[in-house]
Amino acid sequence: MFKSTTLLSLLIFLGTCLCAQEKPDAKFGKISIADFNLSTSKVDTSTAAIVISDIGECHFESVGLQFKVHFTHYKRIRILNKAGFNAANITIPYNDKGTGGQHVYDIKANTYNLENGKIITTKLDGKSIFTENYTKDILLKKFTFPDVKEGSIIEFSFAIESGVLLQLYPWQFQEEYPCMWSEYSVSIPKAYNYLTLKQGYNPFYIDDETYENEFGFVVQKHHWVMKDVDPLKRENFTTTIDNYVAKVEFQLSYVTNLSTNITQDVLPGWPKLSESLMGFESFGADLNKNNRWLDEDLQKIVQRSDSKLEKAKKIYSFVRDNFKCTLQQGNGLTTSLKTIFENRSGNVAEINLLLAAMLNHEEIQSDPVILSTRNHGFANMVYPVISKFNYVVCAASIDSKVYFLDASEKFLSFNHLPEYCYNGELRIIQKGNTTPVYLVADSLAEKKMTSVFIVNDDKSPHDISGSFQCQYGFYQSNTIRKKVSEKKQDDFIKDVKNSFENEIDIQNIGIDSLTQLDDPVTLHYDFAFKNATNSDIIYFSPIIGERYKENPLKSSERRYPVEMPYTSDEVYILDMEIPSGYIVDEMPKSEKITLNDKDGFFEYMIGKSDSNIQLRWRMKLNKATFEPAEYPNLRDFFARAIKLENEQIVFKKKK
Amino acid sequence: MKNFIGFIVVSLPLALSAQTYSVASIPDSLKKNADVVKRNEEITIEIKSPAKALINTRIAYTVLNEDGNEHGDYIAYYDKFVSVNSVSGTLYDQNGKEIKHVKKKDMQDFSGTGDENLITDARYKINRFYYRVYPYTVQYEEEDEINGIRNFEDWIPQNAHRMAVQQSKYVIIAPKNYMIRYKEFNFSQPPVITENGDKRTYTWQISNLPAKLTESLAPSFVTLTPHVLIAPSDFEAEGYAGNMSTWKNFGAFFYQLTKSRDALPDNVKKEVHELTDNLKTQKEKIAALYNYLQKNTRYVSIQFGIGGWQPFDATYVSTKKYGDCKALSNFMVALLKEAGIDGKYVIIRAGKNAQQIVSDFSESQFNHVICCVPLLKDTVWLECTDHELPAGYLSSFTADRWGLLVDQSGGTLVHTPKYGVNDNLQIRRISATLNGDGNLSAFINTNYKAEQQDELEMDLEYRSKDELLKKLKSEIDLPTYDVTKFDYKEQKNNIPPSIDESIELTANNYAQVSGKRLFINPNILNRSETKLKTEEERKYPIELRSEYKDVDTVEIKVPSGYQPEAFPADTKIESKFGKYFCSVKITADKILYYRYREQYSGEFPAADYTDLVNYYDKIYKSDRSKIVLVKKE
Repeated sequence: MFKSTTLLSLLIFLGTCLCAQEKPDAKFGKISIADFNLSTSKVDTSTAAIVISDIGECHFESVGLQFKVHFTHYKRIRILNKAGFNAANITIPYNDKGTGGQHVYDIKANTYNLENGKIITTKLDGKSIFTENYTKDILLKKFTFPDVKEGSIIEFSFAIESGVLLQLYPWQFQEEYPCMWSEYSVSIPKAYNYLTLKQGYNPFYIDDETYENEFGFVVQKHHWVMKDVDPLKRENFTTTIDNYVAKVEFQLSYVTNLSTNITQDVLPGWPKLSESLMGFESFGADLNKNNRWLDEDLQKIVQRSDSKLEKAKKIYSFVRDNFKCTLQQGNGLTTSLKTIFENRSGNVAEINLLLAAMLNHEEIQSDPVILSTRNHGFANMVYPVISKFNYVVCAASIDSKVYFLDASEKFLSFNHLPEYCYNGELRIIQKGNTTPVYLVADSLAEKKMTSVFIVNDDKSPHDISGSFQCQYGFYQSNTIRKKVSEKKQDDFIKDVKNSFENEIDIQNIGIDSLTQLDDPVTLHYDFAFKNATNSDIIYFSPIIGERYKENPLKSSERRYPVEMPYTSDEVYILDMEIPSGYIVDEMPKSEKITLNDKDGFFEYMIGKSDSNIQLRWRMKLNKATFEPAEYPNLRDFFARAIKLENEQIVFKKKK
Repeated sequence: MKNFIGFIVVSLPLALSAQTYSVASIPDSLKKNADVVKRNEEITIEIKSPAKALINTRIAYTVLNEDGNEHGDYIAYYDKFVSVNSVSGTLYDQNGKEIKHVKKKDMQDFSGTGDENLITDARYKINRFYYRVYPYTVQYEEEDEINGIRNFEDWIPQNAHRMAVQQSKYVIIAPKNYMIRYKEFNFSQPPVITENGDKRTYTWQISNLPAKLTESLAPSFVTLTPHVLIAPSDFEAEGYAGNMSTWKNFGAFFYQLTKSRDALPDNVKKEVHELTDNLKTQKEKIAALYNYLQKNTRYVSIQFGIGGWQPFDATYVSTKKYGDCKALSNFMVALLKEAGIDGKYVIIRAGKNAQQIVSDFSESQFNHVICCVPLLKDTVWLECTDHELPAGYLSSFTADRWGLLVDQSGGTLVHTPKYGVNDNLQIRRISATLNGDGNLSAFINTNYKAEQQDELEMDLEYRSKDELLKKLKSEIDLPTYDVTKFDYKEQKNNIPPSIDESIELTANNYAQVSGKRLFINPNILNRSETKLKTEEERKYPIELRSEYKDVDTVEIKVPSGYQPEAFPADTKIESKFGKYFCSVKITADKILYYRYREQYSGEFPAADYTDLVNYYDKIYKSDRSKIVLVKKE
């Protein structure tokens, strides 16, 4: 109901005005009544606001002997309803510290309202622009538009001058509102060579690169436009939406001295990057030093070890169990290894670099490994930039075998990495040399095995009772360990009891291997469905414990890959004595369904004898990553498996 | 260490602290059920004048395990009125040996503005030791200088569950002629009062409080533990002086802050008259002006200094078309005044299920401002930050509680209306068709009234149609389904208002098909989710906060060729917590399901807890009972 008039008028225009699809005639301060008759054919109109025009421009200006980068941003938005009021709150982050200090200027903003056939313009007054010291380094310019109502058009522009040349301003073509026109122009003097990183599934409308002469310089000119860009939608099983949002980014690769034509690499490539990383005190400089301050403690930690492997395991456990990880990301040291050791805490890089130093101290050759985690997105491996890596683990070589270690995760065991590290390529860093390692989710297999036995008990003839046991996969086991440690075991057990819909009595509940991190966790208990055999007919749902209740793939279509954390193999086995005095009236049929020939299958095998019912249910996915084209099959596969999981067995009293 | 005497002087405090903070000195009774032990707390407030004070805080915690870690962190807040002169922290191991010491400059500094405000002057410094060898002890010391007094920190020695308290002390020092106001809860000892020269000192102390556990549906934690509310009498901030000894005086202070901030520009005055001059009744005029406010303004929060208490003036709101609750309410009062109507500014503690204020202790217990117009027979209430509510309705955000009405005669406590079990309705009719594959298609009409419409009303206001559909889908608890149509109509003519919702949906595999049988849950959308955990020994009273009535009528057309094999018997529950009734009837081709539920609010003794668990369990089970249809042979 609400806003339906706005929507309706949009729909009418949709029919009459399919023509004007070129660049919107939007310039700051230039507005006409026609601009309120927004024509749009391709963007989704069930949204709260529409970006009419989003235009960025970036160029270099010489200031004395130095270049400065100038970035200007202009944006015009139509607010369709109250849900779009948030679009009127603007925040511009910047950093005015250091030599590359940034400076924000020329902030202008107007609100336009159409009232009684006339356009009313309200300007932002300068006093209403606030500066907030957000953190020590980051400042925010903040303002909100005056006089905003449903139907308002708002527009703003600002400029930033910056001495930072390493990265130019990136541009995101896609955002939370649909955008009719998103344009970015970048002019770069030939002296600077930038690596351009483009991504996203939306097509460019214009994608141009030209060279022009400006004031005697050759200037490279990029020009990109996207039209009718759909808003970002987050879905289940996505590592990070950042990998798929339409955007361009720049990284300075080398600089040419135009008079000598000599080039100087800024992006060093792996050999140089590793050379400098291992030389930095904030990364690898101290890893292979004597570090005599460790002598005493390490002697205690590794005492009575027979082999290097045993030593390594002891050191790993010591660090994992005694250090607090303050931040699950980091790519270098913020303080000395010694301080980290004394504080018993550090970010992930600090903990694992310390681990490497401790292993090296015991003459176990150990090197740092840098990577970008799944939620941090992909890092460019051809042109590595340290800021694109957010995680450091440790690789220890023992008897010509390499072990990967992460001591920052409390429940991880030796030679295992967390599943979020499985994001493609990792690099082992040595001085002047690196080794790539590939870790993908498709190579991780989680096995889960549940078995349930139900036997008739003469002592309680009216109950269906039995025993349940479930052995979890490696990562699921760690999840349970975390839950139990966070919630306390009693609460975890109460949750298990409460997860049943039926009246159930649970006894002798136990969780095995909570502290043996190399073994999978097993949950087991005895159960009784009270008074289940009190009527002439019993309806019995044979899958006990966790099961899918709804399809995890909700959308009917998908534009980017489905990325599960690992492949999976789940088996459920039931052996059930038929309740005495009853016969099987009906039971589900056996069925096997495969997913794309060899990507996976589920099978439901059920059989009965005079006294027993046996059920084996197995769902196996051989891949963790599925392309958008494979999505419909995968979704259908889940839907059918879930339907089978929910089927019931019917027992009838013997006559 | 040449000087023996010096050695003693220096080492004495060290030795003491080692003794004090060793874990061995915590009695076992305080370790039971505790994640953290507050070892020592000392808050000292010295009032220099109605505007100025010094606050010294010293606090030490021993963290026993991982769950207590948050108490090892420390945050020092500051803003225009509060400056942190010094703050430092020390970390000790379990033997009381110092491991680390941090000073003010070592602490991280952040903006406290947050997402809900555009900009404020709130900031904070934070320290985390990230130590993980348990147990460990932290001690913090902070000295603040206050220049602009609006309240004093209350004394709540035990401010978290699973926290034991070894020792806590609160000292307030004031000039003899300055009145300190306080009120004790769960604590019977009056403060020790001593005098020294022209100063008077009040001291409260408590020791050895064992840790308490949480219980579901218990009253808010603070009300269960000893605490003392402490407040100023005379106070002053940014040149505005006031007295809060009585609600009347406190209201007079706020009146001073709002006075002569109601001037409207001529064009707005003109609009007011155009809108209201031809209307006959006061109520019509109020509704017209409230509608004008809703159409022309939006909520934006900017808070600097006294601006946390003082509204932007009406001219500001007229030109910017935005403001916070204070500014919008003040603007509303100004609009009403222009139309000759006497609107009032009411300060209140907002929040669904917010704890009631202590009505016999006047201090700032509020966080929101609304507006009201007392008429001859009744009062019209206006929530000025909402765009859609009809004039005269307050949602569960501010209903049923005390507020401070502010006008030229000072402050008066007034009570906002309560919406009860016969107001908060959800009346639903479903007409559905089921086919032989178990697929369901359904038309669902629901009328939500009063507090049952509040959340939806906000969603209609702030979510796009896309987001609305997404939320709707996430709330429907069906296996695989699609919403094919949905629509809302807000009924604002009656108070309280209601919303009509109509939904069309299809749900595949709604009924489970097992060979010749269909398993159908006739309760398609309204299944109680509440399953309380059983507790061995309930200690605290039970608090049920919401009051409502749900009526569901469901008609499901079933495929032909089936006959009922099993269906649930009628369920009827009548208890002090509520009423529940449901029944199933099966005709030749239809299932008729009826469900009626009344839920009451109130406080109940701890002894009732087992009954309450059973009450919810019965409803939970009944809501999931299935009908079995079997194919005719």
